[in-house]
Amino acid sequence: MDTNVGPDEMLIHMGPQHVAQPGPFRLNVKVKGETVQDSEVELGFIHKGIEKILESKTYLQGIPVVDRACYLAALSNEEAFVGSVEKLVGIEPTERSQYIRVIVEELSRIQSHLLGYAEYASFLGFVSMFMYPIAVREKVLELLEMTTGARITHSYLRFGGVRDDLPEGFEAKCKETFEYVRKGVEEWGELMKTDMIYRERTVGVGVLTPDLAKDLGVSGPPLRATGVAFDIRKDDPYLVYDDLDFKVCTETAGDIDARIWVRVAEIYESMYIVEQALDQIPSGPLFPENLPYDRRSPVMRVPEGEVFYRVEDPRGEMGFYMVSDGSDKPYRVKIRGPVYPTMQALPPLIKGTQLADVVAIAGSMDACTSEADR
Amino acid sequence: MDAEKIIDSLTSKFPEAISDTNIESERRISAYADADNIVDVCQYLKDELQFGHLSSETAVDLIQKNEIDVVYHIGSYDHPVVLTLKAKLPRDNPQIESVVPVYWNANWYERETYELFGVQYTNHPDLRNLVLPDELLGEWPLRKDYKGFPQNTAKNLV
Repeated sequence: MDTNVGPDEMLIHMGPQHVAQPGPFRLNVKVKGETVQDSEVELGFIHKGIEKILESKTYLQGIPVVDRACYLAALSNEEAFVGSVEKLVGIEPTERSQYIRVIVEELSRIQSHLLGYAEYASFLGFVSMFMYPIAVREKVLELLEMTTGARITHSYLRFGGVRDDLPEGFEAKCKETFEYVRKGVEEWGELMKTDMIYRERTVGVGVLTPDLAKDLGVSGPPLRATGVAFDIRKDDPYLVYDDLDFKVCTETAGDIDARIWVRVAEIYESMYIVEQALDQIPSGPLFPENLPYDRRSPVMRVPEGEVFYRVEDPRGEMGFYMVSDGSDKPYRVKIRGPVYPTMQALPPLIKGTQLADVVAIAGSMDACTSEADR
Repeated sequence: MDAEKIIDSLTSKFPEAISDTNIESERRISAYADADNIVDVCQYLKDELQFGHLSSETAVDLIQKNEIDVVYHIGSYDHPVVLTLKAKLPRDNPQIESVVPVYWNANWYERETYELFGVQYTNHPDLRNLVLPDELLGEWPLRKDYKGFPQNTAKNLV
């Protein structure tokens, strides 16, 4: 962006810590009157160096590290990391553990979408709408906590399986929680359909067309809100998603409203997936019998090779490119997060919009700065 | 479009530039491309073979071979095949043409690869550091020439 401003223009620095986006990043916006002329995203305020750290950790030690790339998607990150290692070693997780992974990853998607929705509502000024989804999300976190022992960063997946089985009473608690979630989402949905101020601020604002979204490399709900039914769970399936019945949630308008509705629809769809998985889950061991490493030892040598494994994160396509040189630590790990292209797409998306809409548009993309900075 | 057809099409279009093709599975294929032809290859992949989605772009420092491999993972919205396309660059002067004119989102990936590995992308619209502070530029943090490499054991950690 050209930072020279004309006599009737102004340069506004939003951030590094701004309500428009959770996490520190800076959005430099050049405005003429109220209209955005140009903008630029600045990253690096929380650069964590996770790819570099992974090169000095054994594979097992890497699991808690990848959790922290984006704590809202800790379980998807683990799936991408653990799945990559499994592909390199040639381990097939047992069917029971695959189902358990699907269950916890979908629960993780629900809590992420609830938080994303809550934060977004607060950006628009609906502070009470922040509180309600957060209260519901708490119940979902309780489910994750009783399974993994942690609310946010779980370190739950293991090469070939999962750390622990589902706890006693999980199914009953799940049923109770889902009733609560459905009731809550229905209530807010009504508000989203009827509140005039909400409609004015979201319908037709920040429109992405399918072609533009594809060109910008956007994935996840922002892409599906333009009508493109691209979902890794269907297009490049992993775990037991092939055995489960679910649809890819799409909208066609491509505006803020559509992005939020895609997430709402995905909350319902994830609950449906979890219910099916609980019905279908087979009994059996959590780990394969002939595991090529000792589960109690954190050291595991991984054969030389490389792999690219991707999963559907709450925010889109999360992929790990991993190169192994045959030692017990990865030679190189590249994390392909969904947020990078989403944040990169902000400047073209907000160009020509009103300054007041920047906050709403940025919020509706549900980008996680922490994951972009990794 | 299946993996075999994609490889056949690519090799017949660029017989000189494409090498070491491999079909790892029906959804994962890989190939090396000549660094000088990278933009043409990417353009062909996008226009003719429906590879419209640059999933990631990065590099790997192969210090023992004295080369840096630039690695592109290119997927599609229309078929499930992901192509791992690589280009070999000399470690002392890694230079390659930017693919931003073909894949718009390569912009940040290339800036990142530049600041972490020192790969020079010619004709990049804005080649500067993305996440590191200015004073760290030139350190190339993900290159392997640091003291203590290679570490073959984790004994010091467990």
